[in-house]
Amino acid sequence: MTLLLRELKILLRSPAGAIQSLMFAVLVIALFPLAITPDPDQLAPLGIGLIWVVTLLACLLAADKSLASDYADGSLEQMVLSDYPLWWMCLVKSMAHWVSCALPLLLMAPILGAMLAMPLDRIVWLMASLVLGSPILSLFCMLGAMLTVGLNQSSALLPILIAPFLVPTLILGTQWATTGGEAFYGYMLAALLCLSVVTLPFATAVVAKIAVSR
Amino acid sequence: MLQIESLSCFRQDRFLFKDLNAKVLPGQALQIVGENGSGKTTLFKILAGLFDEYEGRVILADAGRPLYLGHRYAVNDQLTPIENLNFLLKLNDIQQAEGLLTAALARFQLCSGLDQPCAALSEGQKKRVALARLMLTSARIWLLDEAFSALDAPGRAVLSEVCQAHLASGGTLIFSSHQGIPEFASAAQLHLKAEL
Repeated sequence: MTLLLRELKILLRSPAGAIQSLMFAVLVIALFPLAITPDPDQLAPLGIGLIWVVTLLACLLAADKSLASDYADGSLEQMVLSDYPLWWMCLVKSMAHWVSCALPLLLMAPILGAMLAMPLDRIVWLMASLVLGSPILSLFCMLGAMLTVGLNQSSALLPILIAPFLVPTLILGTQWATTGGEAFYGYMLAALLCLSVVTLPFATAVVAKIAVSR
Repeated sequence: MLQIESLSCFRQDRFLFKDLNAKVLPGQALQIVGENGSGKTTLFKILAGLFDEYEGRVILADAGRPLYLGHRYAVNDQLTPIENLNFLLKLNDIQQAEGLLTAALARFQLCSGLDQPCAALSEGQKKRVALARLMLTSARIWLLDEAFSALDAPGRAVLSEVCQAHLASGGTLIFSSHQGIPEFASAAQLHLKAEL
């Protein structure tokens, strides 16, 4: 709990990163109708997919920032050396990442949806799919960030490394929302979330030990 | 007690160091001496348990987890000195009243600005925040990699006093320093020479 509070305090005092990914997402959604078509009938079917892609990219964009300062100032070394379970700290880091980039987008979803002329029931399903899906994105992003932290050009390497792993979540999430909640996609997405929560923090913890010995 | 037995480390196509032997008993200090790039930091990382690509043995006998303070001393710029200290102690599961934290910071001559983020502090002051942890830890083995650098003369004096108190209470100290520390002039030394 103390660790989560620490992460949130750091986020609150340097909100530039979170604001940057939110601005990126809002701008893409705002520019899209201008560049493609303002016609609501053509825009509405694209809404779910577009907001999902933007969420995914916003998560990737912010991934390396959340770890860079901990690596640079040596906090990561101290975390690895601590008596605390390292997987728990990796989970906390993923939660902080989720709070900083996925949560603002989730809260903005009704407005973003309205900008794309989406009907209300679509927006509700979109938000439901983001609630289930976006934590998976954050968990994978943290794994990727840990793999590349401290490497030169890590921000270029990270998306290449992690994007393929985000594709299943993207497909399940968008399908679930587009089909208006077909049980199969919902169950699969929930299963993927459970699997990620119980496995990825452990994988990230193993990688963290390698990261600090570089 | 800390013992190193024929420790060798091979890194980037050369031996960083080869066949190191040392033994430090409770109440004793050991100074690691070597030029830049001779592997001091790697040795500290090995002793701390951060780096395990080595041959030989490192024995930490019934002393618990050592406290490692490296070049990067884990002070976050966005947090205040108190919050930083709280986090570092929390990592080792130590809960201290805020009064003790301020006292520890005061020992290192940090009295004002404790509710300001550390970004406003100078490099030496940040180092003092990290060092204040020494006052509150229960670790018996201290690994201080270049802990004396970036400190002014009064700061170095406080640090040597704290270290001497630690030794007097039966603790173990392993440190490296490019400056001569008069208080530890008689400490045992371990010389690192890069093998070609």
